[in-house]
Parts: sequence; C-alpha cells; structure tokens
Amino acid sequence: MHLRFKKEWELPESAVTPESYYRKRREFLKTVGLGVAGWAFGGSSLFAATGGFPTKLNPNYPPGDLKVTPYEFITSYNNFYEFGLEKDEPKVNANKGWKSEPWTVEIAGEVRNPMKIDVNDLIAKVGGIEQRVYRHRCVEAWSMVVPWDGFPLAKLVALADPKAEAKFLRMTTFFDPKNVPGQRTDALDWPYVEGLRLDEANHELAFIATGIYGEPIPNQNGAPLRLVVPWKYGFKGVKSIVKFEFTTRQPRNTWNVMAPREYGFYANVNPTVAHPRWSQATERVIGAGFRAVRQDTLMFNGYEKQVAGLYAGLDLRKNY
Amino acid sequence: MPDSTSARITDAAPAAREVRGTSGPPVAGWLERIVRSKAVAVTALVLPGLWPAWPIVNQDPSVLADPGEYLLHHLGFVACVLLAVVLTFTPLRVLFPRWRAAVALNRHRRLVGVTVFVYAALHFVMYLIYEGGFGKLASDIGKPFILSGTVALGILFALTITSVDRAVRALGARRWKHLHRLVYLGAALAAYHQIDASKVFPLQVVWIFGPMLVLQGARIVKRFVRSDPAPPPRVPQIGSPKT
Repeated sequence: MHLRFKKEWELPESAVTPESYYRKRREFLKTVGLGVAGWAFGGSSLFAATGGFPTKLNPNYPPGDLKVTPYEFITSYNNFYEFGLEKDEPKVNANKGWKSEPWTVEIAGEVRNPMKIDVNDLIAKVGGIEQRVYRHRCVEAWSMVVPWDGFPLAKLVALADPKAEAKFLRMTTFFDPKNVPGQRTDALDWPYVEGLRLDEANHELAFIATGIYGEPIPNQNGAPLRLVVPWKYGFKGVKSIVKFEFTTRQPRNTWNVMAPREYGFYANVNPTVAHPRWSQATERVIGAGFRAVRQDTLMFNGYEKQVAGLYAGLDLRKNY
Repeated sequence: MPDSTSARITDAAPAAREVRGTSGPPVAGWLERIVRSKAVAVTALVLPGLWPAWPIVNQDPSVLADPGEYLLHHLGFVACVLLAVVLTFTPLRVLFPRWRAAVALNRHRRLVGVTVFVYAALHFVMYLIYEGGFGKLASDIGKPFILSGTVALGILFALTITSVDRAVRALGARRWKHLHRLVYLGAALAAYHQIDASKVFPLQVVWIFGPMLVLQGARIVKRFVRSDPAPPPRVPQIGSPKT
C-alpha cells in the first residue's frame, strides 16, 4: 500500500481558484516567451502534447525564479548516445526515419497488473498529462530549466500494482540497431538501462515526460516516454522507454556498468562529491551565452527539502 | 627517442637546404611549392582558429547553447591535431628522403610547433575564464584529467620559449635536443587528456594520433634495419634564417 502525505509546501486543491490559476498561467507563458501563442488557447489547456492530450501547468511546480531554457537549446543540445556522441548529433540522427510512434510499452516483473500497452492508452489510463518546470543537472556539470509535460511516475506504479516483493523499478530503452546508428557501435552496453528504488519511483517529483513546452517530446529528447528525476544527474533520465520492470534486486544501470568508479546507482546531484575527473560544485548554465555564467550546484539539485528524507542514514559519499 | 638522423638537423630550414643540394631536380614540383609556401602554412594554421565563427554566425543552437564549452573543446582539439601533425614531419622526411614535399614540410616545423602552444594556451585561457579560474585549477589539479593537460601545456611552453635561436645557443645542442624530446611526453599527455575528457573512449583520438604513431614507429624500424652505420650526431645549425 502506498500512503501519500501532503507536504507543507503543497497547496490544498481548494486553494487553486480558476482565476488565480489563470494569472499564474499568463505569468508562465510570459516567462517562457510563448505569450502570444498562449492567447490562441482558451480554457485550462495550453497545447496538445503526445497523442493530443491537453496539458496545463501544475501550480506546485511553476518556474518561480527559475529562468526557463529556450526550447531550441533544450532540443539541440542533447546527450543521447544511441544517436551520436556529440551534443548536436541526436537532433539530426534521431529524425532520419527512426519512428517513435506507434509505441508499445511493457509493464512487467513483480506486479499484479502486467501489460503491454500503447503509449497513448497508457497516458489515458494514468489520467492525462500536466506541466512541471524542473531544474535539469547533467553529470557533465551543465544545467537547464525545462518545462516538461507528462505524468507522475507514481501513477504508473499504481497502475502496475506492484507486489510486496517489488523493491526496484528497472527501465529500458528500445533496442533497434538497424535504424539507430549508435546501437551499431559498442560505445555503451545497449540497450540503455536505468533504475530507481521503488520509494524513489513513487516520490512525487519522479516524472515521466511526454512533452516539452506543451509540444510532444522530440525524438532527440527521448520520445515518446522519458524518465525525469530532477534531483538526480541527467543520465538517470532514461529516454524512449519500452519497458518498466519491477524487480526484487537493484538493477544494474548502464553507466554504472560502464564506469562503476565514476557513476553510481543513486546519482543524486551532490556538489560536495566530485566526479573523479571534475568538480560537481558548480555548473554551466545552458543558454547563458558567452557571459561566463557558472552557478553553484545545489544539494539534490535544489530539491533537498523534498527528497533528503529518502536517503536518511545513507552515506552519500559512498552511494554516489 | 634517440635518433641520429633527426639529431643531424634540429631546425627546419637547414633541412630543406641540405637535401635540396644533394638530390632531386632543381625545379620544384607543384606539391612541394605549395608545401614550401609560408603563406599556405600560415593560412592552414590560422583557419582552424577562425572556424568557430561559422556556427556562431549561423546561429547553430547546438553551439550557442554553450558557446564557451564549444570554444574550449575546439581549441583543445586543434592543438591536439596540430601536435600530432607536426610530429609526422620528421618521420616523413626520414622515411622518404627523396620526397621533396616531405622535406619542404620541415621548413615549417618550428612555426607549427609554436602554433600548437598558442592553441593550447588559448584553450587554457578559455578553461580559466569558463571553468572558474586558478582557484578551480588549484582544487582540481590532483585529478589526472586536469594534471595531464596542465603538464602538457607546461612542456609546450618550455619548448616554445627555447625555440628561438638564442635559446638553442644558450642551451647547447645536446641539452636543447634532450629538452625538446619532451614533446613526445607532451603528446602522450595530450592524448590521455583528450581521452579523459569524454565519458566514453573517443575514437577521434585514434585518427588524430594514430598516423603519427605509425610514422614514428616506421622511423624507428628504419633506423634499426639500416645497413650503413649511422653518422655521428651533428651539432644543430643555429642562426639559420627563420622559416
């Protein structure tokens, strides 16, 4: 059974009046530079995302003081080794005939409700999508702020209905070497695998993205489903997921297999634990141009208040 | 890498002069004329530095997302490529002594070597500006990634300030030669630095440094299989016209 306690920063449902929400939405649109486009859409929905699902900003995760990264940078500066090792390559190579629809997702392992399901049916089953503005911190010491559209991972967990033995969630990217150049090389151990502890997967911040800026998520960002765990380094955010498997043992995540000394299972953003080759104390802000902008990296990427409790008693230096 | 053949000549210009006098027709071929040209050499060395203007003018979002990082990596990349290239000059001349273009190439050895340092130094300045200055360097110097790059730069600096004729004279030929063999250590460190900069092994390191390694290997082999005894090492000629 999964109990959900309200956090002190959460607003009760009743506090969200239509009018105040409307104002927030206008603010948000202005912030992200889509103000004009926003006028075209009435009511509570912004844009269509994957499969035509309407999305709206979840008022618990507004941009606030964050400077949202422009859309073109989020979608042109990508680490997606399936489509090339350079940042500019995924945008080109992921849009050369590789198809992210139709897309079937498998839910398997220690669950009462295993299934193979079309991605749009899955989104309908979890109740549609919403928008959240999250910080994104790469292990390479750069960061963005991304307005993701999608649904909480906890909803998928609830749908799968894990058995008591299920302790971890293992997520796997597609494997399609015929259409995907990177998977014909041995740069990584394909297919890409990531994992979370079940309590991490059930945390309210853990999110499955299906869109960015209200648009369906582009192939190079991990269409049609990608994991977003904003308190962890970006490589935990496994892209283009085909399988969610509930396991009793801790999954072996790809980067941990590749270089165990450099990448752990947890990969929590932590400015006090350096990567063996570089410091993690600061980060370059994507889109800041030539102004030498480096900002301090925050513990758990600024989500310490929300997630620190997950790791009480855990040695974060050892469990990097 | 002791090698009596290269010990004969430490400066590029005399190399060209000596061999020109002993072999080949007096009229230079088209390739040799291009390779000999100072203007061509300077253009080839400056163009890679101007290359980043292209994506910036074109507003390439992949580059504009993090232009400082792009410049940092580009400058380091150019330094590595030119270092590998300049280290093919002597092996090419030793392996193909009658190929006049290879001989002509060695006129530019000092120029290319100094250019390597310039690009490496710009790469370092970019690091200081963009990654957090000397404080960051001091805190990260223990990491092999940062240490290898810093030591390689130090070696290039030492070789650059001793590349003027006066320094050759002051050091004496033998000591100068021993000092400048450090370039091989510098190249090894640069290759390591480049490998360590990536999360997975970057194949480009193979095509940057691979040909140079093959040529250097062939040069060593040639020296050992040569039937005639090696001539005694000669003192490098100094005060020669600058290339």
